[in-house]
Amino acid sequence: MLALDNLSKHFGGVRAVDAVDLTFREGEIFGLIGPNGSGKSTTVNLITGLYTPTTGTVMLDGHDLTQMAQHERTAMGVARTFQNIRLFGNLSVAQNLWVAQNGRTQRREHFMSRWFKAGGEHGPEIEDLLRFSRLHTKRDLPASALSFGEMRRLEMARALASNPRIVLLDEPAAGASLEDGQLLAERIRDIRERGVTVLLIEHMMELVMGISDRIAVLNFGRKIAEGTPAEVQANRDVRAAYLGSKHEDEELIHA
Amino acid sequence: MDFYFGLLQIFGVHTLLGLSAYVVLLTGQVTMAQAGFYAIGAYSAGAATAMFGLHILPAVILAGLVTAGIACIVGFPALRVKGLMLVVATLAFGEMVRLFFFNLTWQVERGGEMVGPNGAEGFRAIRYFPENGWEVWHVTVFIWIVVAVIMAALWWMDHSRAGAVLRAVGHDETAAQSVGLNLTAVKVGAMTLGGFIAGVGGGIYAHTVTHIEHGVFGVLLATFAIAYPILGGLGSVFGTVIAVLFIQGFLIEGLRFVGDWRSLLFGALIVVAMNLRPHGLLGEHAPNLRRIFGREKTEREALNTKEAK
Amino acid sequence: MDYFFFIDFLQSLTDGLLFGTTYALIGIGFTLIFGVMRKLNLAYGAAALAGTYIGLAAFLSFDAPPTLVFLLSALGSGVIGILVYYCCFRFTPADYPMASLLASVGMLLFIEEVVIHASHGMPFPYPSVFRDATIELGDIWIRGDLLFVFGICVVAMAVLFWLLYRTPLGLATRAVSQQPRAAALCGIDPTRVNLLTFGITGILGGIAGAMTAAAVGVLSPIIAMGLTVKGLIAVVIGGLGSIPGAIIGGLLVGAAENIFLLLRGVTERDIYVMLLLFLFLVLRPGGLFGSTAGRD
Repeated sequence: MLALDNLSKHFGGVRAVDAVDLTFREGEIFGLIGPNGSGKSTTVNLITGLYTPTTGTVMLDGHDLTQMAQHERTAMGVARTFQNIRLFGNLSVAQNLWVAQNGRTQRREHFMSRWFKAGGEHGPEIEDLLRFSRLHTKRDLPASALSFGEMRRLEMARALASNPRIVLLDEPAAGASLEDGQLLAERIRDIRERGVTVLLIEHMMELVMGISDRIAVLNFGRKIAEGTPAEVQANRDVRAAYLGSKHEDEELIHA
Repeated sequence: MDFYFGLLQIFGVHTLLGLSAYVVLLTGQVTMAQAGFYAIGAYSAGAATAMFGLHILPAVILAGLVTAGIACIVGFPALRVKGLMLVVATLAFGEMVRLFFFNLTWQVERGGEMVGPNGAEGFRAIRYFPENGWEVWHVTVFIWIVVAVIMAALWWMDHSRAGAVLRAVGHDETAAQSVGLNLTAVKVGAMTLGGFIAGVGGGIYAHTVTHIEHGVFGVLLATFAIAYPILGGLGSVFGTVIAVLFIQGFLIEGLRFVGDWRSLLFGALIVVAMNLRPHGLLGEHAPNLRRIFGREKTEREALNTKEAK
Repeated sequence: MDYFFFIDFLQSLTDGLLFGTTYALIGIGFTLIFGVMRKLNLAYGAAALAGTYIGLAAFLSFDAPPTLVFLLSALGSGVIGILVYYCCFRFTPADYPMASLLASVGMLLFIEEVVIHASHGMPFPYPSVFRDATIELGDIWIRGDLLFVFGICVVAMAVLFWLLYRTPLGLATRAVSQQPRAAALCGIDPTRVNLLTFGITGILGGIAGAMTAAAVGVLSPIIAMGLTVKGLIAVVIGGLGSIPGAIIGGLLVGAAENIFLLLRGVTERDIYVMLLLFLFLVLRPGGLFGSTAGRD
């Protein structure tokens, strides 16, 4: 569905992402892993349009997104969360979801009713997302008053508010405990149940290995492996690059 | 009695000036251009009635539309820069407008007299109200009807999705883009709306004073424009009104006895207010929300940082 | 193009470049403060003006010699700079630049009003040196007083460079402007650095104010706005945060101003200078030397 072709991003002499090809299939959970600084977040920023690529293209079902602005990509069905949560702290929980209703179907609504109808934060879609993220009791609190875990849930719900086709989760387990990780895995499966493809960028191995259908590994901006969790775990390069520094096969790095 | 009506008129036009900055400030853009927009509104409404004999209502609306158009055109390039650079850019735009009117001479003959902007002399004899037999209280009521309409519209906007979107952009532009908001459209939209309100305000102002000249529309007025909403707090339109009443009423008219030291006091007041209540008298959020959650929030934040580690 | 116009043009350009050094000094002041605090001090021009008036007071009350007047102007402005720091920057939230910005605008109005009241808004004669000396280069005359202004400003810049690049104080200042938090962890007190920066930039502003007044020969409160706006333009053209940029920006503004004066007359001159700034902001928001485009 979403395809990255020969995607590169260079910052001066640094090749943050270097000629990466990836294809995500409709309805799958795709894990993107790699050591710190391997180019995972840069890849997300290239897909969502925060950065423009040095070379390569981003295609969504045959539509070229490469030159599109961020808001146009959202309208095409690409949504994301941030590694360091970025909510609208000055708005209420429900309003955070409300402003994010910029998806394909929502854009076709009449201009006046889309922008100037009061009380839209009580719409059925928003109520549904509030229940999904278990925040319906806190709907009128300012987002800045939520706890850390609630903020993560709200940001995930906000990403879903635009009815995306694919959502990019940038390290959703950062700062969460192992038990939270279990709940998170369920929530990510729930997202897939809604018919949304998930691209999961993560450090927490248990989480990624447990729920991903397929995984790709980045190292120094290059894709070094791709396949099912079992295949990736068995891959020598991956062990060297990713696990090597922590495990006994240290010498493989230098080999 | 007329003195108090005059005072109410000043409150009215300054409220419009403050509201015009309020809309733009919601998107996180600090603009020093509002005095320039106010000047454009004043000169064009003055020209419409005094030089071309329009009725006051279409003249004021025309002034608003002209100003909105200019604000929109200026908005596109100016909003490419952010934060402090935008302050400098809009400051330059405001001064440019002021100097333009300083140099503008364009007079037509009407009733045996030459009327129109006359350079440094200014634009005299914008006498629509006295010529048409409006009394002071008529004018005052007219001004406050306009203010009420615009406040109601803005209040409505604040409670619609548009208001939430403006605040979202003001809080975090990157996040706003990521949820599919077109930053340029939102910011230019706010700038255009702000321009319209400033144009209407300036147009009315020109008719209440009958004589306008470039010196009025300087940095002091631009500072007033942003000081009202910032001092009042961006929680709601009422913060701006309260700040206008406070600054103009208490400081300027109430302290009339201290004579010419008023703008000095205005300066000092801003300095003190920004030190004591940097987020405005009523705060950033709608009133009471912040008060209630203020304490809880700080505890939670402490907890969050712990959790994050 | 006829010969006389060409000479006039060159003459304007020369005068503008010489006088532009005062704008460069103000620009450096804005840039230094922005460097250490990431904030804009809009009261800067007003502080420079007030300092210059302190020098003037000495001149009027006991007929002080020009050197002393200039010195007092610079020092007075330094003291006021520190005052501005305490009033507008020390206690306003660090993560909300608008508070200190608005406070500094308030301070600008405040200082300007104090000066206007103290001087009754009247222009006063200000001491000048080498008023009658001129150097002739062919048909172009270089005014002695402008050359003096130029010389003093260059000396001030040289001293500033020495301070910044050859002393521990300068090292600390540059460290804070690069990485405030890391500098604080290394034991540099940011408040002290900020305080010193405001003092030093205040002195620079005072020199610029004194030299402006010396070049014109009279001092009036109007120059505060001119210094503020032209200094800002110099910084934006050069790139906020870059000292060489501020110098080149200042010279450019001085030159452009004088050329527009020649071409369009005194009332329209500033419109074109503003237009220049607006164009720069829009087309090259990072300035000639800066990479801080859109930074706030």
